[in-house]
Amino acid sequence: MRGKMIQETMSRQERFEAAVSLEKPDRIPVMPLMTAFAVRSQGMTQGTAWRDPDMGFKAMLDTFNDLGGFDRLYKPNLFWPMIGGRFCSTPIRVLIPGRQLPEDALNQIDERVLISRDDYDKLATLGWNAFWDEHYEKMTGGRKMSYVAATQNQLLDLYKEEVTIYQDQDIHPLFGAYVDSSMMAFSMARTLTEFTMDLYEVPEKVKSAMDASCDDLIQNALDVVALTKIPVVFIVLERGSGFYYRTDIFEHFEWPYLRRYVDAFISEGLTPWFHLDTDWSLNLPYFREFPKGKCIADLDGTTDIFRAKEILGGHMCISGDVQASLLTLGRPHQVEAYCRRLIDVVGRDGGFILTTGCECPIDARFENVKAMVDTAKNYRGKN
Amino acid sequence: MNRQKAIDLVEKALPAGEDPFDILKISRAAMEEVGKRFATGEFFLSELIYSAEVFKAVCAILEPGLVAKRNSDETQGEVVIGTPKGDVHDLGKNLMVTLMRAHGFTVYDIGVDVPPENLVKEVKRRKASILALSALITPAFVSMREAIDLLIEEGLRKKTFVIIGGGVTTDFARKEIGADAQTMDPAEAIRLCRQHLKGSEKTVRL
Repeated sequence: MRGKMIQETMSRQERFEAAVSLEKPDRIPVMPLMTAFAVRSQGMTQGTAWRDPDMGFKAMLDTFNDLGGFDRLYKPNLFWPMIGGRFCSTPIRVLIPGRQLPEDALNQIDERVLISRDDYDKLATLGWNAFWDEHYEKMTGGRKMSYVAATQNQLLDLYKEEVTIYQDQDIHPLFGAYVDSSMMAFSMARTLTEFTMDLYEVPEKVKSAMDASCDDLIQNALDVVALTKIPVVFIVLERGSGFYYRTDIFEHFEWPYLRRYVDAFISEGLTPWFHLDTDWSLNLPYFREFPKGKCIADLDGTTDIFRAKEILGGHMCISGDVQASLLTLGRPHQVEAYCRRLIDVVGRDGGFILTTGCECPIDARFENVKAMVDTAKNYRGKN
Repeated sequence: MNRQKAIDLVEKALPAGEDPFDILKISRAAMEEVGKRFATGEFFLSELIYSAEVFKAVCAILEPGLVAKRNSDETQGEVVIGTPKGDVHDLGKNLMVTLMRAHGFTVYDIGVDVPPENLVKEVKRRKASILALSALITPAFVSMREAIDLLIEEGLRKKTFVIIGGGVTTDFARKEIGADAQTMDPAEAIRLCRQHLKGSEKTVRL
């Protein structure tokens, strides 16, 4: 690793806030979005960490320290915080290591049809929360919502507890709640293929269901933030991008709801973090309509981040996008070279956070992730 | 075209004496057109998904008639496709299966989480000249690389065009793994496979 450490004049929190508000921080903030990677780095199996939250927590903390610390922690543990009985996202089935998957496998989403085409009408009548209250038990073959609610409340309590432990050590978990965008939520409930067919064949039904669900999804996220007290909302976007759909579909089924999310969150003093998996190049110009210096566009390596800087630079903070393949198959000097390029170009004049493109892969080489973190600490950039 | 409209047309055409292979040819020509429009940017992935579903629905109706006359079918080439071990995602793979079939390839879909030895065994058994691997997460890289090593061991590497695709793949990954091609674009995948078959002087078999 070339260069010596930049003299830090800001706290981790100040550095993050400076990047979001498009000011120039003392150095580029850095954050690998790690979960499964941390567990493997500590030599424990994924199953161990999933069965024992204390082990998951320890893995996260130890890996954070082994990497020399960084500016924001993606998650304190392996699970997501959700509010009891209700969902900020579609209640998808996750395949868990040591249960449905081999002991040391990566947890994976089992995408299945969870609602039928007819259920759009019910969603339009009941809204998101009341629909799932009714539908969940039927869908799972008798798994009670009260059981799910109790489990979720326990996880939320644990999340709050862990956040406090981290914050006492000047380690800042990234977000207070996460929520699916409108198209993400419905696409996951129907599967990509069925949802696409619905958009072409029964667009009015989809639209009515979305209209009736949006306020619940927003409120669910706000309720969670009220408990976790971290003023960042992680909005999961993927399925509405120009990678999949033409922009008139985006304009009709994603954009109006996303605007409502952003208005609601910003008016509550929260920062929307747009987790933009897949290629959003076509859609990025829309994001300039959001208030300046209030949101983050988080890119996964599929969108051209350098072009994104041209579109959003000076208006919205960008984060990204060290690719999974580079972290897994590359070498530290290659990672360093790419991070330097990001700092030079995307980090020019501020408004940039160096992150992994989506989550840090489970099998990333430790020395590659370390190279990423160290580059942000050592390299000031050309400007 | 609307899915139901296509189904209605086919359901009327068959009893009227239309040859199922003629209908299949027309459907494939329509899919070629969709692929062309996707390549120019006029169509999006959602239109590929939609047309693939229409094609699947039409094929399901034609299937009995096609089976009865299977010998007169033609193939562009044999493809073994799967999601390698470590990854259970199948959306991208399933879309490719339908599109490749629509474009005249004979496709052997061996599912998800497939161990490298099974991928290679299937290539050998089917005498396939193309191995297509789809992945959304990085653990699949190890299996991809192992499959390619096994192809080398079995003396099949030169005869087998290995193409990778899916969310996590990049050209960098292709080089590291030793595959022949990588793309995120289904229409491009078909073009690359055809280009390979043409280049390797494999004639279209009737």
